[in-house]
Amino acid sequence: MKKSIFGLLVILSMIAVACGGSSLEGEEVFITGALVGNDAAGFQENFDSFTEETGIIVSFQGSDNFEQEIQIQMESGDTPDIALFPQPGGVVDAAQRGYLISLEDLGVDMDEYRASFSSYIVGLGEVDGAHYGGAHAFNLKSIVWYQPAEFEARGYSVPATWDEMIALADQIVAEGMNPFCFGMESEGASGWLATDWMEDIMLRTGEGTVTYDKWVSHEIPFNDPVVKNAATLLSQIMHTDGYVVGGTDAIVSTYFGNAQDPMFVKDANGNPGCFMHRQASFITSFWPDEVQSQAGVETTVFPFPAMDDGLPKAALGAGDMFAVYSDSDAVKEVVNYMLSPTFFEAAAQRPDNSRIYGHVDFDSSLYSKDITRTLADAITGALAENAFRFDASDLMPPEVGGGSFWKEMMNLAVNGPGYIDEALDNIEKSWP
Amino acid sequence: MKKYSQQEKLLNFGISFLALGAFPLVWFLSQAILFRELTDLISRNMLVVIGLLVGSSFVFLLFSGMERIIKLAPIERRDSLEAKMFAGPSLFMIFLFLFYPAIRTIYLSFKDRYGTSFVGFENYLWSFNDTEMLVTIRNQIIWLVFVVFFTLFFGLIVGWLTDRLNKGEAFFKSIVFMPMAISAVGASAIFKFIYEYRPPPLTQIGILNGIRVSTGEQCYNNRVIDGVVKGYDDASCNRAVGWLQQRDLSNFQIGQSLESASWLDNILVNLPLNTVLLLVIMIWAYTGFAAVVFSAGIKAIPADIMEAGQIDGASELKIFVSIVIPYIKSTIIVVGTYMVITVLKAFDIVYVTTRGDLETNLLAVKMLDEFSKYRNIGRSSTVAVLIFICVIPIIIGNTYREKENSSL
Repeated sequence: MKKSIFGLLVILSMIAVACGGSSLEGEEVFITGALVGNDAAGFQENFDSFTEETGIIVSFQGSDNFEQEIQIQMESGDTPDIALFPQPGGVVDAAQRGYLISLEDLGVDMDEYRASFSSYIVGLGEVDGAHYGGAHAFNLKSIVWYQPAEFEARGYSVPATWDEMIALADQIVAEGMNPFCFGMESEGASGWLATDWMEDIMLRTGEGTVTYDKWVSHEIPFNDPVVKNAATLLSQIMHTDGYVVGGTDAIVSTYFGNAQDPMFVKDANGNPGCFMHRQASFITSFWPDEVQSQAGVETTVFPFPAMDDGLPKAALGAGDMFAVYSDSDAVKEVVNYMLSPTFFEAAAQRPDNSRIYGHVDFDSSLYSKDITRTLADAITGALAENAFRFDASDLMPPEVGGGSFWKEMMNLAVNGPGYIDEALDNIEKSWP
Repeated sequence: MKKYSQQEKLLNFGISFLALGAFPLVWFLSQAILFRELTDLISRNMLVVIGLLVGSSFVFLLFSGMERIIKLAPIERRDSLEAKMFAGPSLFMIFLFLFYPAIRTIYLSFKDRYGTSFVGFENYLWSFNDTEMLVTIRNQIIWLVFVVFFTLFFGLIVGWLTDRLNKGEAFFKSIVFMPMAISAVGASAIFKFIYEYRPPPLTQIGILNGIRVSTGEQCYNNRVIDGVVKGYDDASCNRAVGWLQQRDLSNFQIGQSLESASWLDNILVNLPLNTVLLLVIMIWAYTGFAAVVFSAGIKAIPADIMEAGQIDGASELKIFVSIVIPYIKSTIIVVGTYMVITVLKAFDIVYVTTRGDLETNLLAVKMLDEFSKYRNIGRSSTVAVLIFICVIPIIIGNTYREKENSSL
């Protein structure tokens, strides 16, 4: 009796060694993040084929309170294996506090990673020379919404350059209508829409992304001629008579979510209140229901017009980054899979998906919606040329990016073009 | 009075010292140290349970221990010592949570943005030179003058008039009082809808703009009327107005007609309309409170004084000015003081509506902005100190008046 138990134990332990030693079958990897609902379901589906292949069980847990919860989890030492942060800032902060394992330590091929997501994106997760952030999905801000049917009916063509856009705007004004919708009231954050405009213009003037990066890191002052040029062009849009429907009142008093509504309302002559609205891709969720369902068809986008032929097609946006907390072979596999071009295939094909995977080799024909594909091509196109940049005001010190920059843009809107110098000087003075 | 021996005096002093200082300090420090050590050892839920048990029983033990010590003192002194024993912890708490932060805020107001190195009076110089700060101070003064005056004025009128009613007094008073039941945030949200602006082709949902665009000539987009193209920017029609961005009256006809004339017109044309529209919210919210307090004061006026006035043939207005107001003078001062302090602390209305943009800021919001938006600890503390300094004379005045009253 005693012998047989001993024998059984020997056999069992041999089986355990045989299974555990060579394969990762049954290993579990736990991921948390801020995705909820359909987005979370889509993210989880991405791992179905991976689990079939490798046997590693990946489970994702999303929460609305992710950013607070991960702070508590880090302090109490109860972290997930991987966390998907909605901003690179969270990754950098966690890395500086020493909670994360760098991608180099995990054995990620950094050259390949750079090639597939651009060196700028890789650099966003860098702390003291090591890289902690894995790129994931991005959204796009460099877009102008318009209604193709209205353009066709009046013989307008989509402007490819800034000058064409201004010419079109002048034509619309001459015909007695208003070209632009513009509203930047946003409670505590009023003014951010104007900072987005500035950023888009900065990416397309001067030396493009080079000037942009210098501007963000304060290597050029805020009242530099290049920045002043951008502010002057923005002021041209805001302050030229008839350009913005409703004028200054509309710019500073309209909630940004309602700003595009004039485009959807026709007057007695069948003319919409405005024809163009520069706003990020997430604006669709603020539209009236009947318009929302037609996003990408009735109301769609053209890329923010180019301003300098010599510069690559730049794109402004933001995005998620994941960070790794635990070091195991299974986690390594998962990280490599999350940075591969086949990741996200399942989620992209879901009919409700509007998230855009940042890998430049990702097959954009898989996206279920046309509008997502248009945006994705713009993002991956810019990433391939290393011309995708994150929102500057999010990267600047908070007292500028979330303080004086917003405030002075509001003041600029109401005070007119004569205030440009004072606005830029004030922002420069507030830089810590 | 009984003479105490040197030894008894010493004992008294010792026990007083224990009651006022040592006892709360021991109580606070022991718990602070205990729980700081425990946080690393046990889970949060356990900590709460232990906190409840130990915290309460510890106080009980300390109090009973003190009782025994106090028993050593001469019997006539025990009462005052017991009072000190109970006052000690609250005084300690007031020091810890009121005096200490106040002193530290004053200390920080002389430091730089990170609160590390001293900058002398630089922050104070900034608060009286910076354009935004000057506008904030100007707004605070406008708020003080308008809100306090109109709240008292309307409060008196409503209090007096409802008192004259034969029936329905309670009904009307409760209607006027109703805004007090709404939080300042709720009231601000309501008024935000009143001042709401929508860009032209959309229907105006704000009452003010709704009235404005529906009177006078209609605005049209690119519409030919009698051979003339009319747009939204046409001068002949009433455009919708972004009310909370109007920093003066220059965008209105009334403002344009005033501009060239005398200094009074000059003040009027520079009247910050958005600030006035915001302070109306506070007047609306607090008039009911003032009215109810005044009404109670008016009710306390003896009927014979009023009758004497009526028999002497005084008009209603004369009675109001010569009898009612002098009689409830102290009530008016109390409500006025309360309103001054409330206005100095006013925060929620501006925070919810404009968030201080476009020259509508107030000191309390500016204090928070400097701290959380601009990350400047020194300047934020300076603004806090300024508010503090403004409140001090009112508190002192109030204390003196109370003393006078009680000595009467």
